[in-house]
Amino acid sequence: MTFCFRNLFRRKIRTALCIIGVAIAATFVIAVGATTLRYTTVIKEMNVLFNGQIMITSKDAIVIQAIPIGGSMLPQNFTEKKIRNITGVEKTVPILFVVPIGASDVSQFVPVNFTWGIPVQDWQSILGPTPLKGNTGHFPTNESSNEVVIGASLADQYNWTGGSKLIIHGYRLNVTGILDTRMALLSRSLIMPLKLAQNIYNYQETINIITVKPASGYSQKYLAESVERNVTYVNALTEEERNDIIQPVLSQVETWNLGIQTIVFLISLILVMTVMIMTVSERRRDFATLDAIGAPLSYTFRAVIIEASLIGVLGGVLGIAFGSLSAIVLASLYTNIPIAQFFPSIFEIVPPPYMVEIFVVVVAVCCVGGIIPAVNAARMRIAEVLRAEY
Amino acid sequence: MKIRTEALTKTYNLGSSRITALDNVNFEVNEKAFTVIVGRSGSGKSTLLSLIGLNDVPTSGKVLVDDIDASKCSGGERRKIRLHHMGFVFQTFNLLPTLNAVENVELPMALAGKASKEQREKATKLLEIVGLGNRLLHRPKQLSLGEMQRVAIARALANDPEVIIADEPTGELDSKTAKEVIALLLGISREEKKTVIVATHDEKMVEMADIIYTIEDGRLKLEN
Repeated sequence: MTFCFRNLFRRKIRTALCIIGVAIAATFVIAVGATTLRYTTVIKEMNVLFNGQIMITSKDAIVIQAIPIGGSMLPQNFTEKKIRNITGVEKTVPILFVVPIGASDVSQFVPVNFTWGIPVQDWQSILGPTPLKGNTGHFPTNESSNEVVIGASLADQYNWTGGSKLIIHGYRLNVTGILDTRMALLSRSLIMPLKLAQNIYNYQETINIITVKPASGYSQKYLAESVERNVTYVNALTEEERNDIIQPVLSQVETWNLGIQTIVFLISLILVMTVMIMTVSERRRDFATLDAIGAPLSYTFRAVIIEASLIGVLGGVLGIAFGSLSAIVLASLYTNIPIAQFFPSIFEIVPPPYMVEIFVVVVAVCCVGGIIPAVNAARMRIAEVLRAEY
Repeated sequence: MKIRTEALTKTYNLGSSRITALDNVNFEVNEKAFTVIVGRSGSGKSTLLSLIGLNDVPTSGKVLVDDIDASKCSGGERRKIRLHHMGFVFQTFNLLPTLNAVENVELPMALAGKASKEQREKATKLLEIVGLGNRLLHRPKQLSLGEMQRVAIARALANDPEVIIADEPTGELDSKTAKEVIALLLGISREEKKTVIVATHDEKMVEMADIIYTIEDGRLKLEN
């Protein structure tokens, strides 16, 4: 190993450039991969919110999992009444979903703050058993209260705690609890009574989502078709349909990501192979000498492979460090949240299994890059090499 | 270890021309003797040493090592013979530049699977014998040419081989250093009772030899 390490640094600049090349590749893969992974995870987990329920929006809204984008508002009472009259409907929950809240008038490339207006008696049906941080505080108790619970990420960003006062569009709100969830969507959300949200955003008596729980014995599919037949201006999406809408997009994102990774690693492979071929060709005499004194082929082969994998190890470690940093910078850039706040959750942004996976791939790519040079070194015909040296 | 050749021929194809480097050479190495092969540059000395050192295979003929045709052995078997029974000294020393003197001498022992403590003790002892006890940790580029050749001789002795094959070992050295190297090789033959085969131009080396061969245009002739 010492022998290989010393040989590797015989050409310091070339080796350093090769390591930097591999590190840049790993940085790129980690930064892009982690960012993509984060957003696809966020999108995938959104659907958990309306688990087992049909989601109803206006016909012209685009729905990404649990998020309606654009589209008309729905008249609350009129629409709810029509839906409740349909056979097979057990329960409906009207929701006002607003994005972004603009709590501090911040602007960002991607909206990451959300407001949910939900009737107070229906917290559970939407949020499930989501607890409040430290088991202190409470969800808003009545529709006319000015109480709000907020996601942990928002609380961290703006330094809000239970008891903090917020002013949104002139309304003074009391924070009564911090949601204790790792779900990215909820951790960036403000959740308040429906009436309060409607007043703040001036959407009186209107909503943009209705969730429908099917009565037992009725399938989501049957009920969704029935809703769309009876209420012509809405779209009723089953859980499966919501997944189907986004799945091709997610698959495409993952395919592109894989494609980019493959190309980047292929370039690294060629780089390492070129550098190792140059190294082996410069050290023909050393390999011939090793052969002359009786070194087995496996010894020579292994020495070259170890040198190539050392490039991978050093490049991989540097790449993971810079890649993680870049992923944090990207996350900060896209969310306007200061970089420092991401550091404690670095392993959520770049999960350790992902780091290990990329490290293993980088080392493996470098090993593969060393195979042809190693075969060349092991197959060197000593008599010819030594004769050529004189 | 007995080494002899029967009708050994080696030809090279250089472009369209065919060059005969060795032509029907019959050669026998006397055990424990100091054998010198003399010839002009390009006469076939190095080719002959390559073949009897099992670094190359003949175009025709045989290299018999203890009466076994070594040219029919596999590459792995030939490597084993080189590692355990032969030591090589090259004109340009061929030390590994990233290893220091003692590590260079340890290398054949490491390849033979000896324990690292034993390797270090033996390498140190050999370097002391060749007069480099105070240069153990110096890398080749920190050594003079004569010192490098002495490290190479110590390396050749590392696995205690029966045969030492030296290809123009004084070719790169000044006359004073060359004398020291000749004395070392002679000592190996006389005191260590090893077979030493040297290809050389060096008159002084020829004077010391037990057996002298001359080689010209690939044909070998016994001189004494």
